Amino acid sequence: MSRIMTIWLPRWPVQRRLLERPELRRRPVFVCRRERRGVMTVVAWAWAVPPRAPMAASRRSAVPRIPAGMSLAEAMAVLSLTYGSRGCHVAEVDHDDPAADRAALEELARSCRRFAPLVAIEAAASPHEGPECLHIDVTGTSGFFGGEHTLVRTAVWTLAARGIHARAAIADTPAAAWAAAHHTDSLQAADPRGRAAGRHRRVAVVPPGGQIPSLAGLPAAALRLDAAVTAQLQDVGIETIGGVARLPRKSLASRFSPQLLQRLAEFTGERAEPLVVPCSGELPTAAETFDFPLLLRDTLLDDLIAVIERLLQACVAPLAAEGKGVMALQVRLERGASVEALVEGREACAPAVIDIGVFQPTASARHLAELVRLRMARMRLPREIEGIVVEVVSAGAAECRQRTLFGEATGASASQVAMLMDRLAGRLGRGAVFEPKPVADAQPEHAWAAVPPMARAVRSRARPVRDQRPIWATARSAAHQRPIWLLPMPLRLEAVSVVDAVDATAGPPVRFRLTAASASRIDSDRWAGIGTQPHDVVRAHGPERIETAWWRGPTVRRDYYVVETSSGNRYWIFRRLRGGAAGRAEGEWFVHGVFC
Amino acid sequence: MVTQGLGDVGGDGRAPVNALAAGIVTGGGPLPAAATADLLRRAAEWRQAEAHGREVVSVGFPTLERLLPAGGLRRGSLVEWLAGGDAAGAVSLACAVACRLADPRSPGRGAAPRMSGETSRETLRETSRHASSQAATIVVVDRGQRFYPPAVMPWLESEEMAAHGGRRPQLVVARPSRDDDEIWAVDQALRCPGVAVVLAWPGRVHPTAMRRWQLAARSSGAVGLLVRGLSGRLSACEPTWADTRVAVAPVVERDAVVDPAVRRLRLVLAGGAWSGSDMLVDRSVEVLLDTVHGREAVCRRPLPSHQGPRPATGAASGPMVGPMVGPMADSWTKGAACRAS
Repeated sequence: MSRIMTIWLPRWPVQRRLLERPELRRRPVFVCRRERRGVMTVVAWAWAVPPRAPMAASRRSAVPRIPAGMSLAEAMAVLSLTYGSRGCHVAEVDHDDPAADRAALEELARSCRRFAPLVAIEAAASPHEGPECLHIDVTGTSGFFGGEHTLVRTAVWTLAARGIHARAAIADTPAAAWAAAHHTDSLQAADPRGRAAGRHRRVAVVPPGGQIPSLAGLPAAALRLDAAVTAQLQDVGIETIGGVARLPRKSLASRFSPQLLQRLAEFTGERAEPLVVPCSGELPTAAETFDFPLLLRDTLLDDLIAVIERLLQACVAPLAAEGKGVMALQVRLERGASVEALVEGREACAPAVIDIGVFQPTASARHLAELVRLRMARMRLPREIEGIVVEVVSAGAAECRQRTLFGEATGASASQVAMLMDRLAGRLGRGAVFEPKPVADAQPEHAWAAVPPMARAVRSRARPVRDQRPIWATARSAAHQRPIWLLPMPLRLEAVSVVDAVDATAGPPVRFRLTAASASRIDSDRWAGIGTQPHDVVRAHGPERIETAWWRGPTVRRDYYVVETSSGNRYWIFRRLRGGAAGRAEGEWFVHGVFC
Repeated sequence: MVTQGLGDVGGDGRAPVNALAAGIVTGGGPLPAAATADLLRRAAEWRQAEAHGREVVSVGFPTLERLLPAGGLRRGSLVEWLAGGDAAGAVSLACAVACRLADPRSPGRGAAPRMSGETSRETLRETSRHASSQAATIVVVDRGQRFYPPAVMPWLESEEMAAHGGRRPQLVVARPSRDDDEIWAVDQALRCPGVAVVLAWPGRVHPTAMRRWQLAARSSGAVGLLVRGLSGRLSACEPTWADTRVAVAPVVERDAVVDPAVRRLRLVLAGGAWSGSDMLVDRSVEVLLDTVHGREAVCRRPLPSHQGPRPATGAASGPMVGPMVGPMADSWTKGAACRAS
């Protein structure tokens, strides 16, 4: 009996765009298709970090219901009912690109070969619906990961670490796993550790041979039926898979579409469903198997890197001949059976996987080997390995330059900077290296976004949008100067002497110091930029009133001042305001920035 | 004043000279004046030989350039900025200098190597015509994760650059979470030939690590700007491998008509690889930092003379003459005036 793990990636077209442009997470994203007569219909939409909806009674009812196929105008109307017209103004509308969605899904499928060698993409149900699922044949491989429950959780959290929202399930057939992955919330199964199924459960495991008893309560649409067949079933009062399974098969063929009988047979396993392995654009793979298990304790890291570099060269050479370079690759250290695994009855362990990603396609095996070395120097390597597999996950067009006899060619420094970014990201983490980009937001904490470096060309190809630069990026006056350092959280101040604590027009305090609670929050190891001693204000400039819009949630109203103390230090402090247009102050002062 | 920054360590021949010089100045072991002068002259020659072939680039602050021994910064050099207070402006000044160094239109970028800083300003302007049109890269190693890019991003978009159609310098921020990662990141950035400036504010750095940074900067030509002393642990007497060490302290302005966008900073050359004759001279200047545009401000009237002793040499005297001008010059309010109202 085979076991299939299905990974469902909800709203994959939107997720792909959010992965490429993380700054879109704070905006609603619509992926639309242009129909006949110019009507734009919604293929998928999502708002990753939505604000609090002021017009909704509860958070659960705040999510507007916009099904696929709805026209964009109707979708905008539904969105504005929940979030106001501002939600429509900031919405990002992009055209559907099924080829790019499939290419990204194929890259993900290649990277999922860490779980099992056979990874397939689901067959699209219709030409208008792109695939969103991966089927992985995990027959016999779940033992490497400590069981099916551990494997399915590992798969979900591995993708979550890359910023991908996924749900996964394991069953005997792809159809049953597909149904379970799409309805993990409603499955009542509990895992072996006794934890009950939560509302946001992302994983499910259907026991072998138990797809009918376990999934009988799921809706009939989970059999991947067309809408017309589902409507036929509802007309006769059949709404669940269990209801369909109880019907005699002979009557099914005569009363309903043949699709129902086919889907039911695939669900139960009576009819085999072929797994469609992506074969378009297969990327190179190189492997090295040792005659005997290699003890890493007795092996120098340089020797191991030399082997990996040879495999990398074998992978890079065919790509370079096509003018391509590596964007992402996977190095798998195949492990033999450890002592713990033998005690537990397992034959082998899951491979140790090293994922390498670069910001620009590269054909330099030495550079890739250096990135692998950086990762291996900071990870816990297995005790012994039986082989090494290098697989290219993603490739792109590499920049080709003519070599010059004297000096360096134009653009050589750019490629060296790209390599530097790869090295920094390889050791510090991909999110720790970024380029800042201005964001049109009044609140200083959200006035910029971190985008991956070396992504200028991608951004320039995007469709032109209206200028939404914040005022600090365009204004050239002292009123909009910003501090060099911004504290992670504003620290509350104790205004020692002030004219009127509740009068918003009174100006800044003439003396302030950190409160005891704020002083305790200062990290003793790292300098906070402000001491705990009292500060006498000599000069002040302001106020600059910053007020966020109501559709962003709780309104933030602040009066910022640039104050200079008697010792010559400059700080960016603000008073938190609350109330109507009169601007009655709460009398609470905070320090937010340091002109250090 | 004279003894600051003389405790240089290392094995490349500089340590004995510095130790002798420190002994002379502090009175540890008197030597004949002729021997002292000879040693200092030889030290200056050694350092000039080391700096041979390294291009001098403009920092964009004429006052600061008068303070620097070479009239600018040599490619592949390290500069330490010692902060004189919590919010003294050392990081702001270092960021402004970094933006000017990375500006493709700045004098010296991409020009032919020059030997010394005595080249006239006309030559610098001439070399600016040959500046590379390729965007430079600024790498900010932000260990404390408090760097606020919106403060610096407008400085990178100067009107002159937009008029000439140049590309904006690329600003890349790296945020290490550990001290060893920070040291490694600075080292890697300094080794990259495509990086123009590396800006960091490390805490305690072992001299070995700083020596590695120096060699890395020498190999690539990148300029390292290190803001130190923010935590109050570093004194100017500690040894350093930096080529130049500048102490930055704010000057308190009690004049209400001063432009709030202008910050007045007092800079003191506190150490580094200066020539021997300069060690006996108090070199300090005052710089007006335009915090809106990230460049040196222009002033038209003499500054009041309460900012401390004037420099001893003409080269180190401040150029500020005239009132500071700006659109918000009259909007500053003194605390006392605020209370009275």
